[in-house]
Amino acid sequence: MKKSIALSIIVSSALTAGAYKVPEQSVNSMALGAAYVAHTDGADTAYYNPANMAFMGDAQFTEAGLTLVHLPSNRFQGLQAYSVNEIYPASNKSEIENLQIPFLHYVSNSIEQFRWGASLSVPGGLSKEWKSGHQKLFAEEFTLKIIEFNPVASYKLSDNFAVGGGLRFIYSEGVVKSDGGAIKPIKRDMEGDTVEYGYNLAMSYRPTSDINMAVTYRSNIDLKEEGDANLYLGNLGKQYSTDVTIPLPAALNLAVSKTWQDRYTLELNYEKTYWSEYKNLDFNYGSAIPSALVGAFDDPKPKNWRDTDTFRVGFTAKVSPELTLMAGYSKDETPIPKEYVSYELPDADANIYTFGFRIKANKNLSYGFAYLRDEKESFSLAQGENKNGIIGKFSGGGADLLTAGVSYKF
Amino acid sequence: MQNILKLVVVATPLLFIGCGSDLSAPTSESVKGGELLVDFSDDAMKSTLLSKGVIDENQTVYGYKAYKIPYTTTDEEGNEVKASGLFVIPTGLPSIITTKLGLSMVSDDHGTIFANAEAPSVNAKNIGTPAGSSVILTSLGGFATLQPDYIGFGDSNSHYHPFILKDSLANSTVDFIKQVKKFAADNNITLNSQLFLTGYSEGGYASMATLKKIEEEDTGLSVTMAAPMAGPYALKTMADVVLSQPKLSVPSFMANVGYAYAKAYTQPVNSIINEPYASKLPTLFNGDLTRVEIDPKLTTDTTGKTGLFEPNFVNDYFANDNNWFKEAVTSNNLHTWSPKTPVRLVHCKGDNVIPYAISQLTEGTMKSLGASDVEIIPVEQTLIAINPSKYPADLNLTHGDCGSPAYSITTAMFAEVRKKTIGY
Repeated sequence: MKKSIALSIIVSSALTAGAYKVPEQSVNSMALGAAYVAHTDGADTAYYNPANMAFMGDAQFTEAGLTLVHLPSNRFQGLQAYSVNEIYPASNKSEIENLQIPFLHYVSNSIEQFRWGASLSVPGGLSKEWKSGHQKLFAEEFTLKIIEFNPVASYKLSDNFAVGGGLRFIYSEGVVKSDGGAIKPIKRDMEGDTVEYGYNLAMSYRPTSDINMAVTYRSNIDLKEEGDANLYLGNLGKQYSTDVTIPLPAALNLAVSKTWQDRYTLELNYEKTYWSEYKNLDFNYGSAIPSALVGAFDDPKPKNWRDTDTFRVGFTAKVSPELTLMAGYSKDETPIPKEYVSYELPDADANIYTFGFRIKANKNLSYGFAYLRDEKESFSLAQGENKNGIIGKFSGGGADLLTAGVSYKF
Repeated sequence: MQNILKLVVVATPLLFIGCGSDLSAPTSESVKGGELLVDFSDDAMKSTLLSKGVIDENQTVYGYKAYKIPYTTTDEEGNEVKASGLFVIPTGLPSIITTKLGLSMVSDDHGTIFANAEAPSVNAKNIGTPAGSSVILTSLGGFATLQPDYIGFGDSNSHYHPFILKDSLANSTVDFIKQVKKFAADNNITLNSQLFLTGYSEGGYASMATLKKIEEEDTGLSVTMAAPMAGPYALKTMADVVLSQPKLSVPSFMANVGYAYAKAYTQPVNSIINEPYASKLPTLFNGDLTRVEIDPKLTTDTTGKTGLFEPNFVNDYFANDNNWFKEAVTSNNLHTWSPKTPVRLVHCKGDNVIPYAISQLTEGTMKSLGASDVEIIPVEQTLIAINPSKYPADLNLTHGDCGSPAYSITTAMFAEVRKKTIGY
């Protein structure tokens, strides 16, 4: 039996943006709803736009913090159809969850035109639990935990143009539990983890002193969670080695910011997330499983997600030398076609509202707080519309996030 | 600051150490002399059967636990063969039954199969769910069900299957019953002394062969009641009918008879079966293919140059009283004896493979030889009598459709006997 380091103690994950990507990884990014790519000025620059490190003052920057996540229940009213002749009432709600996400960023001194930095973050994750009813067969628990270590470097090509990039080291854990209970006497407990690698690139251009333009790209990383699965038919269980691959999709950001009077900054951000990489959820087992379980636990489940467009706007106001206020709004698009919505992630389009503030305690130290409200839109699935047999209305869900962070410059 | 940097340095390697999972493997029941393959609780069985519309809410349903049991038997040639079978017990019964009264056994011989995957213990291992007649007998009837795979399937898959050959079919059943009794004793499963015999189609024939062996030989067993279902007991009559008809409804059945008898009686297969079919049979009957896959590779013409049976063989069969095949099927008849055990010949009048008349002939012959408790149970009439509003008066069930209701009627008959004698 393999053993894993208990990173879950310090790393949890949440659904705060389309599907299972988490774009907010610092006080400023949370307060601005991740409209924080062109105009970055703290240690979190290492994560959001490493090219911008080239333009930072000659000091070392650090930021550490914690985000508290509250995930309300997803509510479902409707029916579950296993076949045209087997349809059950299935109104239910998922578990409420409260999680914590840490982050840590660092930017070094410049070394002539070079600079380096690093971030420890949680770029994605998912946790959904249905403890009863038919949903339990599909997602008694579906947890994906992702932590990223991202060393980066920048190079200043001119006074107004810089490039950057880095390597992405991902550690991820997955837990999948399914239990048909008395309705369908089948059950699966799966745990796995993986280490994967990717890269990120960035480019910043500052045509004038008050306008920043940026392009960033984070590569797709396929998370091949490898571990064991206990499969049960009735009361009889057997353990199989298993793996399942879930993509952490590539993302392209285009951003521009404009600053007025050195006090007010508006940033517009467009993000394209390449979710179409997620074509199916396919569990593989080390040996043949009982054929009665193949349909539920072995046959690939089509996902066919689509690429998404997210539009963000963030506003920063330095109302005094000590106090900075921030607010943001994002319109987030779900990548999941209604045809393939499932209980493990009943995602919908969302409106995301954010605000926060940062207080400068002295010339080296500042701290801040930020709040994010993710409001998911309700949606309905008509009979025959969904491949997983879901007929009814999903509502609720979304998320509330509160971030606290402290920054130190020296 | 240095502390923060240290944290990064320390945390980073930790990211890459974890691998796999710490998921504990499921614990399985320790079994002596077998392997637990299926274990469904009574609640799970009831939910499953309710969802399929097989039962109503008020029906009592028992859990289902199935074990594969290996054992040794003897083939047609007198050689020892390592064989296997499936033993299914009900769970969730009152403790007075499981500790004091004991479970009554039903030996249930399966019908004709060709693919090894269809054998009871192989099917249970591959699929992992309750399946087939043992659901009726065990989960609805509360019986301990015994299903030998037969020689040629399961652990003896490399051996040819002695299709419709009474000695080895009876051997594989009797030896399995004996092994199950030992298995039950070794694993604290309480059985009572009741033993019922049944089986459908080839299984009907096999159960009749088993009854005959138990009554005529010193097996140490006794049978409470036998209910063979739709079996070709009058084999010589069946052969006469089939070989005189121009077409074969299911060519794989007759090809299998020809193949098995040629093997058992050491005759060249191509002296019975025409080429190119004779050369194909070892491959067609190697356990990889199902009947549906085999039939299209054969012909439905009974004989002639392009027929299944070699014309000279067919001519000799009808003309020569000493024809070896005629003597073989005659010696494998199972209707020309007089059982002392109560026998219920369960059969559908609409049977299109094994004519109902075979059971009529069997009943008449056995009675004429002195059997006092042999009776035909016509399935359609029994169903109509139980529920006249559900079935039309002219109900006729084919061989394929008759199996499930035949098992239900047989289970009810056995349960009635158990109720009168054991008390539950």
